[in-house]
Amino acid sequence: MMAAAYRRFRLGPVSLRVNARRTALCIALALLLVALAFAALATGSGEAGLADALAFLTRPVETGHSTVGDLRAPRVAMALACGAMLGLSGAALQTLTRNGLADPGLLGVREGASLAVITLMLSSPSAPLLLRPFAGMAGGLIVALVAMVIARSLARLRFILVGIGLSWFLSAVISMILITADIDSVQAAMVWMAGSLSGTQPDMLPPAFACLFVGSSLLVLTMRAAEISLLGETAAIGLGMRVVRFRMTAIAASVLMTAAAVSCAGSLGFVGLLAPHLSRFLVGGGQAALLAGSAILGAGLVLIADTIGRTLFAPVQIPAGIVLSVLGVVLLAVLLWQRRNQI
Amino acid sequence: MSAGTLAAPRQSGWAWLLPAIGLTLLLSALHLSTGARPTPLPVLFDALTTFDPADFDQRILLSLRLPRLCAALLSGAAIGLAGLLLQSLLRNPLAEPHILGFNAGASLAVVIATALPVALQPVGLARPLLAALGGALVFSAVFALSSAGRLGLTMAKLTFCGIALSALASALVSAILILDQETLEAVRFWLVGDLAGAAWREVNAALAPTALAASATLMIAPRLDAMALGDASATGLGVPVRTTRLIGLGAAALLSGVAVSTVGPIGFVGLIVPGLAFRLAGGRHLPALALSAIGGATLLVAADLVARSLIASHEIATGIMTALVGAPVFLAIVARRVK
Repeated sequence: MMAAAYRRFRLGPVSLRVNARRTALCIALALLLVALAFAALATGSGEAGLADALAFLTRPVETGHSTVGDLRAPRVAMALACGAMLGLSGAALQTLTRNGLADPGLLGVREGASLAVITLMLSSPSAPLLLRPFAGMAGGLIVALVAMVIARSLARLRFILVGIGLSWFLSAVISMILITADIDSVQAAMVWMAGSLSGTQPDMLPPAFACLFVGSSLLVLTMRAAEISLLGETAAIGLGMRVVRFRMTAIAASVLMTAAAVSCAGSLGFVGLLAPHLSRFLVGGGQAALLAGSAILGAGLVLIADTIGRTLFAPVQIPAGIVLSVLGVVLLAVLLWQRRNQI
Repeated sequence: MSAGTLAAPRQSGWAWLLPAIGLTLLLSALHLSTGARPTPLPVLFDALTTFDPADFDQRILLSLRLPRLCAALLSGAAIGLAGLLLQSLLRNPLAEPHILGFNAGASLAVVIATALPVALQPVGLARPLLAALGGALVFSAVFALSSAGRLGLTMAKLTFCGIALSALASALVSAILILDQETLEAVRFWLVGDLAGAAWREVNAALAPTALAASATLMIAPRLDAMALGDASATGLGVPVRTTRLIGLGAAALLSGVAVSTVGPIGFVGLIVPGLAFRLAGGRHLPALALSAIGGATLLVAADLVARSLIASHEIATGIMTALVGAPVFLAIVARRVK
């Protein structure tokens, strides 16, 4: 029954089994995402509308310096990159911990990255923007390692609770830094922390997409190992999988992408929780479908949240992170309700 | 079982009371005398016995530092009691007003009220009441959501529900604050739990509800020992389990509301103190409640002292200090108690 749904593709030495229905679904979702991105380019508080968006897309060189080219296009691109990164890292973490409640935001990785970036922002305001992703990565990686050491096991609920405790501790440290700093830098830091894409710099786009590329390649390479690891640690070891190497790769990839997203767009919570669940619901299937679906849906979620945030109360902009929190909490409540007999 | 083995823990339970009170008095004296303008203690005695309105030092003590100390003592004791009540009633070492969403709900209520047009804004007593109401609403939602299911209230479910609803409330708070700069200025310090604004008015308003909740707690304290054996055993021993739980949760909500309205959303005191107090009291609730109240007061005074004097030119909010100590305690409990 199941095998009938798969088609085999051969390309030289490589052969892939592809599920036709799921591939079609993913392509349809991707097309929808492109349409959404175009709609986001054409809406906003400024004058620019559909005609300007079309002009920018057909003649990007001549119309580069316009509302669409200077302001909206980088912002839309950043929303797509950050959303895809967060969705992918959420999917990787949920597979790794075998727990549907895992989210990069709940594990303290986000706060670790935020703390590193804020320290950098306040201690040397003149530091180049490009340093931020690296500072964020270092912070996030340290927190992830500490959480692993304290929890001693990845696959248990304890890991998530430890991450929550760590994130409380780190946010206390962040508030302490913010209170002692002066009010002007605090306002900037607060907007950044709430997850706003309004300050997107075009310079930040290449590193963001580079991180997305590296992280997603790592996850695609470990896709089959991830599938096996879902059977449990003992079974995976018995099947001859290198469990430790897989875990390290997957954690490195998700921390890399979370930290990059945090340093480019601040704290965008709950994308890593929402996107994989939406993907399981809409697309279904194994790890390949989960990764593709989470990336597309994560990008779509952040794009929608950011567009709502910048148009609903225009000219005041609500950071995308807040819109996402409201959506995410509702889903978290539903997930908890489903698991009410298990945890 | 001989009488001797029964009597021993009871004695050791009350034995810690005196040192705890001594520590509180010591810290209070330190709290009163430190500050931007150091004041020697004799000035306090003078101020209390022969008050001289012209003396600047005496006025500082009576109108600024003493209300702040009293607010810290009262709220600390309230949070300590509330924490122990929640942990005993829910049999959950992680139960704490902050984790269960009380503070986030209170913050949301206060921020919404502050953002309203001036004519509709709460004055005087209405703000603390509003904070308590908002907290209690989120609190009950967390309980309702986490009681669902076959296993009832488990540690993990309670924590997750608390975190989820707190996240929702904080997201709404951030949204309001970003849309409205005036409200941000008005509540920026209250939101992180700051005692700098404490005045006699708030302390006086908090006295009556605290006394009410504390006497309710004292009334059910002996029953809590029986309830620690489990609901079935407690019912067998003649304890009205449902009523006791209702009274206890109501008292805990009232105590948390008092604390939130006096000193702002301060977390984690209720996590640090009650577990320690319960162990020092030898597992008996009456001495544990007394120790927990005193311990909570001591901890909050100590946190406020550190927050005021750590960096001389800046006052770090007290809530941040308690979170810095409390989050590691949470981690220790999780690492030891959660599978």
